[in-house]
Amino acid sequence: MALGEFFSKLIPTDLFAGLALTGGYFFKKKETIQFPEERVEPADRFRGMFGYDVDRCIDCHLCAMACPIDIIHIRDHTEVDEDPETGKKKKRKVIDRYDVDIKRCMFCSLCEEACPTDPKSVWLTTKTFEMATYERNEALYFTKERLMSWEGVLAYPGAVPPKDGGLPEDPMARKGKGSAAEGGVA
Amino acid sequence: MDQPLIQFIVIPLVKIVVILAVLLLIVAYLTFAERKILAYMQVRLGPNRVGPKGWLQPIADAFKLLVKEDLVPAKAEKFVFMLAPGLIIIPALLVWSVIPFAPDTTLFGLLKQPIPPYLTDINIGLLFLLGVSGVGVYGVILGGWSSNNKFSLMGGLRSAAQMVSYEVPMGFAVVSVILMAGSLSLVRIVQAQQEAHLWFFVPGILALAIYFCCGVAETNRNPFDLPEAESELVAGFHTEYSGMKFALFFLAEYANMLVIGSVVALLFFGGWLRPFPSWGWLGFLDIIPPFFWFAGKVAVVIFIYMWFRGTFPRYRFDQLMHIGWKWLLPLSLANVVIVALGVLLLKG
Amino acid sequence: MAGPLEPLFDVEEMELSFGPQHPATHGVLRVQLRLDGEKIMDAKPIIGYLHRGTEKLFERESFNQCIPHTDRLDYIAAPTNNEGFVLAAEKLLGITVPPRASYIRMILAELGRISSHVLWLATHAIDLGAITPFFYTFRERERILDLFEEYCGARLTLNAMRVGGLPYDLPDGWVERCSELIDSLPKYFDEYETLLTENRIWKKRTIGIGVISAEEAIDYGLTGPPLRGSGVRWDIRKVFPYDRYDEVEFEIPIGENGDTYDRYLVRMEEMRQSVRIIRQCLDRLPDGPVMAKVPKVLRAQEGIVYASVEAPKGELGYMFVTTAKSTQPYRCHIRPPSFINLQALPAMVEGHLVADLVAVIGTLDIVLGEIDR
Repeated sequence: MALGEFFSKLIPTDLFAGLALTGGYFFKKKETIQFPEERVEPADRFRGMFGYDVDRCIDCHLCAMACPIDIIHIRDHTEVDEDPETGKKKKRKVIDRYDVDIKRCMFCSLCEEACPTDPKSVWLTTKTFEMATYERNEALYFTKERLMSWEGVLAYPGAVPPKDGGLPEDPMARKGKGSAAEGGVA
Repeated sequence: MDQPLIQFIVIPLVKIVVILAVLLLIVAYLTFAERKILAYMQVRLGPNRVGPKGWLQPIADAFKLLVKEDLVPAKAEKFVFMLAPGLIIIPALLVWSVIPFAPDTTLFGLLKQPIPPYLTDINIGLLFLLGVSGVGVYGVILGGWSSNNKFSLMGGLRSAAQMVSYEVPMGFAVVSVILMAGSLSLVRIVQAQQEAHLWFFVPGILALAIYFCCGVAETNRNPFDLPEAESELVAGFHTEYSGMKFALFFLAEYANMLVIGSVVALLFFGGWLRPFPSWGWLGFLDIIPPFFWFAGKVAVVIFIYMWFRGTFPRYRFDQLMHIGWKWLLPLSLANVVIVALGVLLLKG
Repeated sequence: MAGPLEPLFDVEEMELSFGPQHPATHGVLRVQLRLDGEKIMDAKPIIGYLHRGTEKLFERESFNQCIPHTDRLDYIAAPTNNEGFVLAAEKLLGITVPPRASYIRMILAELGRISSHVLWLATHAIDLGAITPFFYTFRERERILDLFEEYCGARLTLNAMRVGGLPYDLPDGWVERCSELIDSLPKYFDEYETLLTENRIWKKRTIGIGVISAEEAIDYGLTGPPLRGSGVRWDIRKVFPYDRYDEVEFEIPIGENGDTYDRYLVRMEEMRQSVRIIRQCLDRLPDGPVMAKVPKVLRAQEGIVYASVEAPKGELGYMFVTTAKSTQPYRCHIRPPSFINLQALPAMVEGHLVADLVAVIGTLDIVLGEIDR
């Protein structure tokens, strides 16, 4: 071994360079964001918790069809209004239930893209992301009333079971989407 | 009470209790310091939630470890499994009986006679220190073996090989200091540095480097932290330990770190002496009590340990052995020869 | 590949199950090891702990519905997964993508490559005991993810591309923020290199570890940095250019020895080249629509297509078999780079020590989401 190589091995300049870097960082500004006190504002397009507006919704079921994992369940019925003056009958769709099984949602926002109304009747750009719960089956199953009350709520208000008290029904038992859905693939 | 009872029973007992209490408190806060230092080097803040600025974090950690369930694996060798933490913590604490952290003191005039604040000064202090700290390896290897876990076993074996092979160059590094001081007593070594008007790291710079490297390896710290290499062996020899037993391993590691730091301070940086002890015009530095000079030197050494951990990758097992036997051992032998010649020529 | 090594003298061998719950197997990989002391005589990767049936799922989803599922293959770099899928679907449906969409796709894909490579470096370094690069690299990764969030609202599972283009145009000021970020990145790459490249411990741990020759690498079908580290200049972006990669200038870094250190250098240089590509894309980003005219319901012709992209881990390919007028593929096959790169693991670790296994798993840069699908 050459003498120069020997001494270069003995004096570890390469290690000192690393030490200087980490030592320098010791005095630099830290990157930590102290979460509960400091918050990062999500971007404008941030996909957070669902928002839903029953008045804008035209009951077209496009969102339910666009959903890759079929977690949007819509139940509706048709009501017939009669104009008291002309006696003309007018059909009107009424949404009974608009349920989203949030615990399975992957926040891809395809439902929002599929929605044809302007502004959208269902949207994910709500900046709400604190959705931790103690009980996933009931707390993360959202009926339309709870969806509509969501916008602007920052912390989860507490585990509330669905309005009718019971557990949500099995989505696959609803109606088949194409032939593959009959196989029960979820 | 008669004099011998006070002198030989009461005073040492008080000293033991005080030393152990302070030591354990310091060790607890070393973990906090390590986490803070690492965090600051890694652009983050570290623990800062428990108590003001996180200062109660070690207390919370200790409490958590105390109340945690103490698991013993079903197929573990139960007796040895229980014994191992004891085997590792006892030497780590026993060593402190010979470490002189301050000169004789009257405790700011409280006592008539100055007494030594350390427990004892035996004439083979350094040998005792090396020997006792060498026993700690049994705790590691037995803990690794008795867990009945392959990762633990490998950690234990690595550790045994590493500790044994690094004790050799470490011993030789210490020999050069003994030659310079002419004594094995740690107090005497510090006094020799005062008399020589020179801290021994100047003539013993190579010994210092070797001792420091070996110290890192002895205490299983990065970049020689193979026995507990997290990414390979999960947690090495203490993978299966939980609760207080794990805490004992942890305490022993940090206590050993303190020992290495203390020995570096004592042997190479003049122990409790202030810088340039012979220069009278620096006398104003004496306002700082000697204990704090000692503690400051130890703190610097331990900071460097943590700095290492924040910077370096880890060596592989065979490479570690390679460094130990093929680099450090020949270098330490050469160092002994050089120092011996120097002592012979200068002191005549 | 030679047969498993036989011990030289009579020793008791140890079977060691490395994983699936292990800090260094990058997920749920399990490696069944046969050890002689610490020396690896035989290693057998066992996979399947993260199987989710993605390919089967694709058979019941329309083309755009598949895209969120592709995010979950290589969850570290989602844009290239999306890109590969939409390229295959566009090839099948005969759709031409507007140039602006192509350029934005390239920017996203290269940002994804950087974010994947810095995460690789972080985990690789922490496997070899250096904990600090982990935090430095995550700082940069977070900034890249911030850009993703501004663009499409998600940080990890982007769902950022659609068949025929992109769902959204870039938001205001995104181009400026992106160019600001990529200007700052090379400085940070230098910092990582200060910590590792010349570090003697890092060199000791990586040089000569997990060597695979160019011939062997080709035989195993390796792609991406593991192939280029062995000195084969093969990059899908150059050999079969997709999007507008033929319009930008960049180099393909290659290694010489095919060891872990060379692969490390290749990836570090690739990050710099990615910055170069993004810089060029931002400079010549054309105006125009980001979505081609595509029908609401995508119906395929009968046929088989295969399209691949250069994902951060290697060649990521999608193959569709479709029947006439179907809205979903009859059969979909994904060629995940990690799965094929993992094949080389036994050959690469044979005769090394356990500590090297960790290094080799790190250098292969596997993602179990992609391997198990």
